[in-house]
Amino acid sequence: MAVLNEIEALIPDLRRYACALLRDRTAADDLVQDCLERAVAKLHTYSGDGALRPWLFRILINRHRDLMRRDQRAGHLVPVDDLVTEPANAATQDAHMALRETKAAIDRLPEDQRRALLLVALEGATIDEAAQALDIPKGTLLSRLARARSSLRQMTGREGASSPRPLHKS
Amino acid sequence: MTQALTQEELIAYFEDALPPDSRADIEERLRHDPQAQATLAEWAAQNEQLQALFPDMSDDPIPAHLTATLRPTPRRRPMLVAAMVALFAVGLVGGWTGRTLIGPGPGHIQLAQAAISAHDTFVVEVTHPIEVPASDRAHMDSWMSKRIGRPMSPPDLAATGFTLLGGRILPGAQSAAGLYMYENAEGQRITLYITQQDSQNSAFRFSAGGSTQSLHWNDNGLGFALTGTLPRDALKTMAKQAYDQLL
Repeated sequence: MAVLNEIEALIPDLRRYACALLRDRTAADDLVQDCLERAVAKLHTYSGDGALRPWLFRILINRHRDLMRRDQRAGHLVPVDDLVTEPANAATQDAHMALRETKAAIDRLPEDQRRALLLVALEGATIDEAAQALDIPKGTLLSRLARARSSLRQMTGREGASSPRPLHKS
Repeated sequence: MTQALTQEELIAYFEDALPPDSRADIEERLRHDPQAQATLAEWAAQNEQLQALFPDMSDDPIPAHLTATLRPTPRRRPMLVAAMVALFAVGLVGGWTGRTLIGPGPGHIQLAQAAISAHDTFVVEVTHPIEVPASDRAHMDSWMSKRIGRPMSPPDLAATGFTLLGGRILPGAQSAAGLYMYENAEGQRITLYITQQDSQNSAFRFSAGGSTQSLHWNDNGLGFALTGTLPRDALKTMAKQAYDQLL
């Protein structure tokens, strides 16, 4: 089936996103597998009008929500060591530090902000696609993104003399 | 003097979510707003960092079990083993949660807690979310009625986009409990937990455990809890539909 080929072509994107969310490759691939199984089972509900990507990400995100809920109850421990590949070439110490800071900051973002930011900034989803995948209105998504970016900026200590105007949102 | 750009305007501009005419306007104002320019540069740097942290995986070989999911070949052994392990784990969890339910005296909170634990345990199941599928409805109804000790028939929530996956039996305080699971097109799941509970007929009440919310009520010697991660209003609409059909 043509749709299955399209889904297969999106596996690398799903894996990267899952990896960024979970910070553990095995867990990420498990999540992707869950998502694919669910997608195949739900294929008849897919409308087939080209919105496959947000549809798939939506399934993945729903699975991730379920997973986080279960792990919270089980007293899930977040791995402290680095599972994400370091930049291949020896970057300067500063760049390394900045990346580490960003990585730590991403992990400290509230889950909904993290999902939104990674969809847009990492996966390059458009606002329409991301709003669809997260099942929230575009306006909500935009302010969630602005909040995520501003917390990221604060946490990485790069909020210099020209600090941004506060967003008046919790 | 042009007006300073708000964060909302700026993010809509940055994410290319503006209509063309307001885009031109923002660009014009941006020229006079060095602070906004700095914010944009910072955001672009954030994107670069994220992409450096989590590199594109299109050159990584895709694990065979992932592609196999899309093209089921003759039954894969490892899947079967995984399913059995999962089932065993569920048994353990179910047994454990079961213990806490045999506490003193029934209560709303107890009902809600049991419903939320059951929900959180089973909605994550891929292989065995339910014991009896909705396709085997007649059998499910007679089996669950017998175990719970009251005529059982799950309500139809199709009007809200959720269709019945099936049901299962769980330990409960006074009688066995039934758990029905529903799913919508996006794979969101809700559960309806039903058990015998001697209590006055009651109004709808909310309880929450983490992001899972449960709307529960008592009616005619039975306790009901509709549980999910939906907004309260959505849960309430569904609970009303369930309530009307369960009368």
